[in-house]
Amino acid sequence: MTVEWLILIPLIGGVLAWIGGRRSSLLPRLISVASLGAGLAMTASLWNASPPVAGRTAGQAWIAEFNTSWIPQLGIGFHLGLDGLSLLLVLLTFFLGIVGVLCSWNEIKERTGFFHLNLMLVLTGIVGVFLSLDLFLFYFFWELMLVPMYFLISIWGHEKRAYASVKFFIFTQLSGILMLLGILGLYFIHGRSTGIYTFDYTQLLGTRLTPGQSLWLMLGFAAAFAVKLPAVPFHSWLPDAHSEAPTAGSLILAGLLLKTGAYGFIRFLVPLFPDAVESVRLIGMVLSAAGILYGAALAFSQEDLKRLIAYTSISHMGFVMLGIFAWNELSLQGAVIQMVCHGFSTGALFVLAGILQARLHTREMSAMGGLWAVTPRMAGMGLFFGLASLGLPGLGNFIGEFLVLLGSYRVSGLVTAAAATGLIASALYSLRLMQRVFHGPKRDDLTMADIAVRETTILAVMAAVIVVIGLYPGPVLETSKPAVEGLIQKGNPSLTPPGRGPGAVKPGGESSGEMLR
Amino acid sequence: MTDLLWLIPFMPIAGFTVLVLAGSRLPRSVTGTIGTGTVGLSAVVSMLLAAGFGVKGDGYVVTQTLWQWLSVGDFSPRFSLYLDALSLVMVLVITCVGFLIHLYSIGFMKNEEGYSRFFAYMNLFVGSMLVLVLADNLVSLYLGWEGVGLCSYLLIGFWYRDSANGYAARKAFVITRVGDTALAVGLFLLFTNLGTLQIQELMQRAQAEWPAGSKIAVIAAALLLAGAIGKSAQLPLQTWLPDAMAGPTPVSALIHAATMVTAGVYLIARTHVLFTLAPPVQSAIAIIGAATLLLAGLSAFVQRDIKRVLAYSTISQIGYMFLALGVGAWSAALFHFMTHAFFKALLFLGAGAVILAMDHEHDIFKMGGLRSRMPVTFWTFLIGVASLSALPFVTSGFYSKDLILKLAWSSERGSVWLWAAGVAGAFITSLYAFRLLFVVFFGDRLTRAKSDPGISMTAPLVVLAALSVAAGLAALPEPASGRQAIQQFLSGVLPAAHIRDERTPELFLLLIASCASIGGMLAAWLLYVLFPRYAEGLVQTRAGRSVHRLLFTGWGFDRIYDRLFAGPFLWLTRINRDDFIDLVYEGAAWYSGVFHHLLGLTQTGKVRWYAFGIGLGAIITIGIAVFL
Amino acid sequence: MTTNDFYALSPLLAVGAAALAVMIGISVKRSMTATAGLTVAGLFVSFAMLFPAASIAPRIVTPLLVIDGYALFYMGLVLAGTLTVVLLSLEYLRDRGAHPEEYYILLLLAAFGSMTLVASRHFGSLFLGLEILSVSLYGLIAYVRGNEKGIEAGIKYLVLAAVSAAFLVFGMALVYTATGSLEFSRIGAGATPTDPLFLAGAAMIIVGMGFKLAVVPFHLWTPDVYEGAPAPVTAFIATVSKGAVFALLLRLAGPFHILDHPTLFTVFSVIAVGSIFAGNLLALSQGNIKRILAYSSIAHLGYLLVAFLAGGVKGATAATYYLSAYFVTTLGAFGVISLRSGRDREREYIHDYRGLAWRRPWLAGVFTAMLLSLAGIPLTAGFIGKFYAISAGVGSSLWFQVVSVAIGSAIGLFYYLRVISVMYAQPERHSGGRQAVARAISFGGGMILALLTLGLILLGVWPSPLIGLITRAVSGMN
Repeated sequence: MTVEWLILIPLIGGVLAWIGGRRSSLLPRLISVASLGAGLAMTASLWNASPPVAGRTAGQAWIAEFNTSWIPQLGIGFHLGLDGLSLLLVLLTFFLGIVGVLCSWNEIKERTGFFHLNLMLVLTGIVGVFLSLDLFLFYFFWELMLVPMYFLISIWGHEKRAYASVKFFIFTQLSGILMLLGILGLYFIHGRSTGIYTFDYTQLLGTRLTPGQSLWLMLGFAAAFAVKLPAVPFHSWLPDAHSEAPTAGSLILAGLLLKTGAYGFIRFLVPLFPDAVESVRLIGMVLSAAGILYGAALAFSQEDLKRLIAYTSISHMGFVMLGIFAWNELSLQGAVIQMVCHGFSTGALFVLAGILQARLHTREMSAMGGLWAVTPRMAGMGLFFGLASLGLPGLGNFIGEFLVLLGSYRVSGLVTAAAATGLIASALYSLRLMQRVFHGPKRDDLTMADIAVRETTILAVMAAVIVVIGLYPGPVLETSKPAVEGLIQKGNPSLTPPGRGPGAVKPGGESSGEMLR
Repeated sequence: MTDLLWLIPFMPIAGFTVLVLAGSRLPRSVTGTIGTGTVGLSAVVSMLLAAGFGVKGDGYVVTQTLWQWLSVGDFSPRFSLYLDALSLVMVLVITCVGFLIHLYSIGFMKNEEGYSRFFAYMNLFVGSMLVLVLADNLVSLYLGWEGVGLCSYLLIGFWYRDSANGYAARKAFVITRVGDTALAVGLFLLFTNLGTLQIQELMQRAQAEWPAGSKIAVIAAALLLAGAIGKSAQLPLQTWLPDAMAGPTPVSALIHAATMVTAGVYLIARTHVLFTLAPPVQSAIAIIGAATLLLAGLSAFVQRDIKRVLAYSTISQIGYMFLALGVGAWSAALFHFMTHAFFKALLFLGAGAVILAMDHEHDIFKMGGLRSRMPVTFWTFLIGVASLSALPFVTSGFYSKDLILKLAWSSERGSVWLWAAGVAGAFITSLYAFRLLFVVFFGDRLTRAKSDPGISMTAPLVVLAALSVAAGLAALPEPASGRQAIQQFLSGVLPAAHIRDERTPELFLLLIASCASIGGMLAAWLLYVLFPRYAEGLVQTRAGRSVHRLLFTGWGFDRIYDRLFAGPFLWLTRINRDDFIDLVYEGAAWYSGVFHHLLGLTQTGKVRWYAFGIGLGAIITIGIAVFL
Repeated sequence: MTTNDFYALSPLLAVGAAALAVMIGISVKRSMTATAGLTVAGLFVSFAMLFPAASIAPRIVTPLLVIDGYALFYMGLVLAGTLTVVLLSLEYLRDRGAHPEEYYILLLLAAFGSMTLVASRHFGSLFLGLEILSVSLYGLIAYVRGNEKGIEAGIKYLVLAAVSAAFLVFGMALVYTATGSLEFSRIGAGATPTDPLFLAGAAMIIVGMGFKLAVVPFHLWTPDVYEGAPAPVTAFIATVSKGAVFALLLRLAGPFHILDHPTLFTVFSVIAVGSIFAGNLLALSQGNIKRILAYSSIAHLGYLLVAFLAGGVKGATAATYYLSAYFVTTLGAFGVISLRSGRDREREYIHDYRGLAWRRPWLAGVFTAMLLSLAGIPLTAGFIGKFYAISAGVGSSLWFQVVSVAIGSAIGLFYYLRVISVMYAQPERHSGGRQAVARAISFGGGMILALLTLGLILLGVWPSPLIGLITRAVSGMN
């Protein structure tokens, strides 16, 4: 059993679920949960079996690898690799996939087989993106996840689903083709200079590029990743897609799809074009800070609950992007934690929004209010995830944001200070959400059941993960550490500034002896 | 025994966890017991540890590492606890006062829904504050720091059905978060430049690497100060505190006396080395403190809401502590923090009893003559007022305030002006404090009030009253050094203030301060007991009215902020609700549609036109091929 | 003519013989089944003869024709396309009144013309092939006599094709004047790059071929003819007819040094970019699926031209792969339309497809796959095709053209998704009457669609065998 099964399992599971959907509507759910659970278990066992961190040197961080030829004439291989970074994201994918199936248990009543086929195909594509080490393969999976996602939105979505799904598709497709141009440019430049025409990531890594080439190719890649992430000003597909998608769709969009953009930045953009990234890093950081604040400001003014949550994603992913452009161990590890925790916290908020919509048949916050009295359990969960999303210390998101800011401060104090004001902005929107939905006077006509055992369990598990990461992120950080260190080496050395100022040389008291290398 | 240190923050947090998970299913008595008991146990543990201090002396430090929080590169904060004299004082006050407030709450909240929620939040509040003061690195401190902010939000908005409460709660959280963000940036700066966030080590390195008055030290100190200002409700971030009265009264007592607002004072005292490296910032602290104590005192004087009076009073009293910190009188600030904790908790709990007795009436002018019906409340409240007013010799507030005033005069960083502001503040304090007392408890009995509350509520009042008096003992001179006991106790952590001039006219200062306190009391007596008409008349004049309005609204800060920040922000977000950037993409789509229709015009279906198209195309093609 | 020459020509001869046989057969007895069977058999024989022919390729047979690997590959493509059209036509014609037999003669002749085109190395054979193709098409387009739109389309095609053929012939004459030869290989040697006479001639030839390819600005006829012609014929026009002409264009590119003439290069660039934008924009809010496919084909030819402009073996390989993928995709798309056609009219409007996915999941699935392939989405042949074309463009640094492809694809996505989303929309409640008219798809039709879909996916995930074949064919081009 190797890494390719991580892709095959959801694929096969999806097809089986589809077939099973002809017999009953329960079968697809069970098959999906079972196969995702198998994927989760397999990833976890890979995690468990992976050699300890000390045994792996930076740069050779692959826990598992798979490589076979695919289209030899063009130098295309089926090359997969799993390192700590992809491992975490694959774990997240399977976990949120299960959550997605569970939370749509009652929501999706029609064509469950086809629904689960699409759901599983999206997950297949996402896992593929996280594992691909061949640029063509990467692009293949990158595009592959669009179609099933499109179906999820356009078939099971809400009122404006047609508009939202097409917008989503066109944005990502156009930017994806720009990335393809970048990939091909790199392919030919590498081929001409070395005579080896290949799409293999590991071989393309050291390609010599002139500054002009590097910049343009980098922009091609950046287009795709910036749209997916999304970075302001390429974000406007997101609120529509997120708010119109069914719950599982929103969950996967926010929890996973956005991460593929961030993953692309980390895995491909910076290592492939270190010099170009170095030259635009400040622009990138400013854009990230702008995204943090702009997303938050828009989130603050929304009336539609899901739209609000969608805009918070833009803000949160701004932190991820900031961490990536700051490109040092602190900020990158922060970005990784932020990616994982954002998956949980925002995913859970979407689950809550889905539950509310299923019961109230509206997403307008003006129709809500005072729900604490009606559904205290749900309100408590809402409070928890709202607090996670405003970066409360002790919860995972805080670790992410703090590390990102701490790392980016080394690069630019001013941008970091500006980004840090996002902490204020996140308080504004999170608390407004609480106020509009759960606090305030209770409307007399509002009656509904509190969340049931299934829903409570899902949310409680997600909450527990956030708390654990918040208080003891060690396992996560150690998993991604070799990968991150290896990646940092691939970046431009001038990207990573020295750790600290004048005091760096002399270690302090015994308490900090180990922390200073 | 020192191994028990972790229990101090753990107990309340455990209580919180139990109450959150199972609270709604527990009977009220169990809930109350858990909530109060956990804090009580923490208090017991802290007293046990305090006993150790008594034996070992001032430089005694207890540390305990719980676990490595995270470790990334050279950044590896741990969860570890650090108890020295400074944190011990804080811990004792927090746990003891916290315990009394919890005890009081059992009675106060007995008819409220959300009983377990209340105790859960209160426990978390105390727990966060304990984490804050016991943290040995700034990240853990920040954890507690934000934790108290969160709890204040939760508790201020405890009665969530009233949107106004929700507004006040959010205001408190957001405004303090402005400070918190500055603090966070300060942390980034410190770590980037000094490579650690362990407080002790940080202080050593700062001292070793940064010359006094260096730019970076000033920036770092200023950022930490901004954080402290936000939490401690000092100018210009004080506006959240008066509104924070929306929460149940025990919450106010907890925020004002034992937790939250004193966090800023603690932070500055804890990182005082940094501030001594940044003289301009330290001066700023003193000036902010002086200005705050005057402005807030004047505002307190005109409030009608009993809790608002006390809220402004808190701002003003914290101003005294800032003044002390600003002149380098670190231990004086801590001393005043301690006495203030006792008498302010007492005053709030007393006010709570009054409010309960008046069926949730807050307006003091609708009260009156409560003296006879509520004797316990009255007498304890009197002690609290006296202590707040720093009436000479019998109250602890007198000693702590006197120490501050003395050092404001004589310290190297002090000045006559700072002293004068302090004295003026003392007069104002006394004036508004006794106004409150006279209006509420004296005069005609205007309404039918209930009598004193039950024992669970009066007992804390009595204990706190006793502490308000007894805390003065800490001012007794230590025979060995001649310094006051509290100064001596803290001397291992907080250095003594540098005295500018040894020949301080101590007696003279004492006299003036005492006169200010007593004068204020007498003035209140005149205005509110003997000639109440006169005070009313004064307000009725035109000048009086506008001054009154200015003071009543807390010097108009809220309006300025509304105009300057909140208004424009709301306006911008509202007009941009649909995201103007989307217009670009919508525009692209629209243009595609336009082109579609324009091109569609060529599809006429007529053969002659199509043939013409071929001809035209041929001309163009040949044109390009041959002539270009 | 030696035996080997006969062997080399045997695929062509087989098709021609089949046409004759069908003609004779009809005069003896009208039988739809027999005619179709004969046609299919002829096509199969011809296809089979490709292999012996391949064993002696390349071979120049008379100055007119060359049978090389390239020609044989395209002949195979033409034969496969024609065969599919024949099979799709069976049911379509059965529903549409009397005398469907001559249809097959026309179809075989059109295939014959196309095969001549792909093998020609001389203006004479070029013109012959083109005219055989065109004349057959006039008949085919207007074949259903009861259909006014069809007759109108046939006349339009007749008139306009004549106009463009005039340009073509005049262009040949000019080139002959300039170079003194009608043979492609000699033209290259005789041409001086800046000779205005030569350039004008080349430009006119471009006009003639541009009409057949339906590229901007010679595209105006396309939607009307696509709409009016019977769906299987439309499929033929879209695939075989265009494919053959494009194959010829690729063959011409070498001797004419098209890509080395800056002005001719500019002409093709303008045509390519213009086609991409005009085609995609025109399709945006079309309500008629046949018209949508017409406009989309204009855009696709634009993409193909980008690969063509890339030049060299790489460009030719990319273009050929793209065309093969396009054959499969387009035949599949029109196949769905053909097979869904009712006795009364074709199901060509978008609203005819509303909720199809829930009534006919397989059919809708096939159509979805075809549309996604047209949009260039992974797992389909179109994805690899588009990837290959863009790759060729990038390889020759045609950034401007390639970015146009990118933007065009994004616009194109809109209308493909529009059709798809209609298919997956909730079916209308009160459409019972219309549903009743739609028939079940026959087993044969279903098989064709299944095979096409299978091919589509196979080419999308395992393209290397075909790429290998094409590379060999293209490298051997004379």
